[in-house]
Amino acid sequence: MKGLVILCIEDEAEVRNAIVRDVESFADICRIDEAEDADDARSAISQCHDAGEQLAIVLCDHMLPGQSGVDFLVTLNDNARTRTTRKVLVTGQAGQEDTIKAVNRANLDHYIAKPWSKENLHAVIKEQLTNYVLECVEDVLPYVSMLDGPRLLEAAKNRSQSE
Amino acid sequence: MLLFSLPWVIHFPGLSIEGHRVLSIFLAAIVLWVTEAVPLHATAVIIILAQILLISDKALLTVPDGFDPPSFRIFFGTLADPVLMLFLGGFFLAHGAAKFDLDRNLARVLLRPFGISAPMILLGLIAITAVFSMFMSNTATTATMMAVVLPVMSQLPAKDRMRTGLALCIPIAANVGGLGTPIGTPPNAIAIGALARNGITIDFLQWMMMTIPFVIVILIVVWVVISKFYRFGGKKIELSIESTFNKSLPAIVFYVTFAATIALWLTSKLHGMNSSIVGFVPVVVLLSTRVFSAKDLQSIQWHVLWLVAGGIALGIGVGKCGLDAWLLGLIDWNAMSSVMIIAMLALTALIFSTVISNSATANFMVPLALTLAVSGGVGISPLTAAVFVAIGSSLAMALPISTPPNAVAISTGVVHTKDLALVGVLVGGIGLVLFLSIGPWFWKLVGVLH
Repeated sequence: MKGLVILCIEDEAEVRNAIVRDVESFADICRIDEAEDADDARSAISQCHDAGEQLAIVLCDHMLPGQSGVDFLVTLNDNARTRTTRKVLVTGQAGQEDTIKAVNRANLDHYIAKPWSKENLHAVIKEQLTNYVLECVEDVLPYVSMLDGPRLLEAAKNRSQSE
Repeated sequence: MLLFSLPWVIHFPGLSIEGHRVLSIFLAAIVLWVTEAVPLHATAVIIILAQILLISDKALLTVPDGFDPPSFRIFFGTLADPVLMLFLGGFFLAHGAAKFDLDRNLARVLLRPFGISAPMILLGLIAITAVFSMFMSNTATTATMMAVVLPVMSQLPAKDRMRTGLALCIPIAANVGGLGTPIGTPPNAIAIGALARNGITIDFLQWMMMTIPFVIVILIVVWVVISKFYRFGGKKIELSIESTFNKSLPAIVFYVTFAATIALWLTSKLHGMNSSIVGFVPVVVLLSTRVFSAKDLQSIQWHVLWLVAGGIALGIGVGKCGLDAWLLGLIDWNAMSSVMIIAMLALTALIFSTVISNSATANFMVPLALTLAVSGGVGISPLTAAVFVAIGSSLAMALPISTPPNAVAISTGVVHTKDLALVGVLVGGIGLVLFLSIGPWFWKLVGVLH
């Protein structure tokens, strides 16, 4: 199976480490990568594409040095290779205008307000990762035990090999 | 490629030129089905094209004198063989059941009477899974039922062996239940299709009479083994049993069509429509009432139908070109008793389909088995031979790769290869011994075998 990647983009190292630690339980089915700003994220994404991996989810802060998180997500949405990537904003400081832009132009999948709770973050990732697998992964069975099993099994009905 | 070219280079004495060509196709087909170098259904269409190009009346190579080449239409015709129409009907019913959530709702309603005692719930799961898999594919049944038990499993403590037992009983019951009707699983259709071409027809009800008593006995064994081994005794399981049936007009039209089709299948003798014709009835009804759209039609698993067609085409080629008689001449069959020959056929099918697809196994084993029986002299009826290959193919479930339902069970993370191996070998062994010891006797008793 092609590896899936979760990319966490956050400029403050402490916060970034906390996010990575909280999503670590998905490490069995995904590689968890991190970046400190938009440029760093772009090089991480091209590395993951070169390795044949699929970028499943980006967890992105809004207030980043350089390009803002929302603008970065818009560029991801405009690029064919990352259009299906699930886009989650993890922020405390996105104003109404930026948030509207994220929804309308970046096709934002979820908004998590800081400070986040581990349970909520988990639930969001589980749901978004399930959506991504259903849309972009042919063989869904390896993900049944970690993600939303009943939904994945529903899809497995029509995708499996001949008996 | 090497095996394909072998019969072109080496001349086997006693085998005709067209026989050599079919032998090439036959060997290449087996290799492709075993290695899965191309998808299973691709091998099937390769067979059809290769036979048209090599041995039909439209062949590119000159056909040898004295050989009356079959029309190319026959090979194309396998893609619409009557047995495929029977299966198509089954696919329509299964697709509708999923579309209108009939499967999940029925599962919950039917589980209710089994109460909350753990062994009874296990029995309920086994019974419902088996019945569903008689009308839907084993894989779809397993996925549906697994989705019903996943929430239950997650409530049990992580160390509880019942979790494994619950997830394990479903693929096993689905594989065994698939034997129950002609549309339960493709090997059944392959056997029935091949027999029909030899003038032996088995209707829906006859097939059920042949297999269901055995299915029930095997499932009782499965129940006892799993409830003992995974310690269900004396425990309780709470199920969420809410069900909301879809009551829209299209859903109701579907329910009625579903029930009517099954009723028609079971009463072929009364109205005279054979099971293939009945199979086409839901196709007509559901499409013309717009219950099924063009999109539904596209989501039918055509690749499974084409895989079956490939097997039927292979059987035609083998029969028309004298390959069968030659293959038989290689072994002195008279040295073996008929029971030994049947046991060998079923066991070979079981071993092959443990590692490769059940349908692919049936595709190349059924023509061989039929040849053996039709040639006479070995004292086996064609019906026995073909049905035993189908049974052997379906009873293979000892490895995760044996069949897709097993892969679904493994995906839950609570069933491990050793669980499948243990219960799979047991079920395969007991099932085979049971069928071998009293199968033919029982089939005579119910009047299917003469």
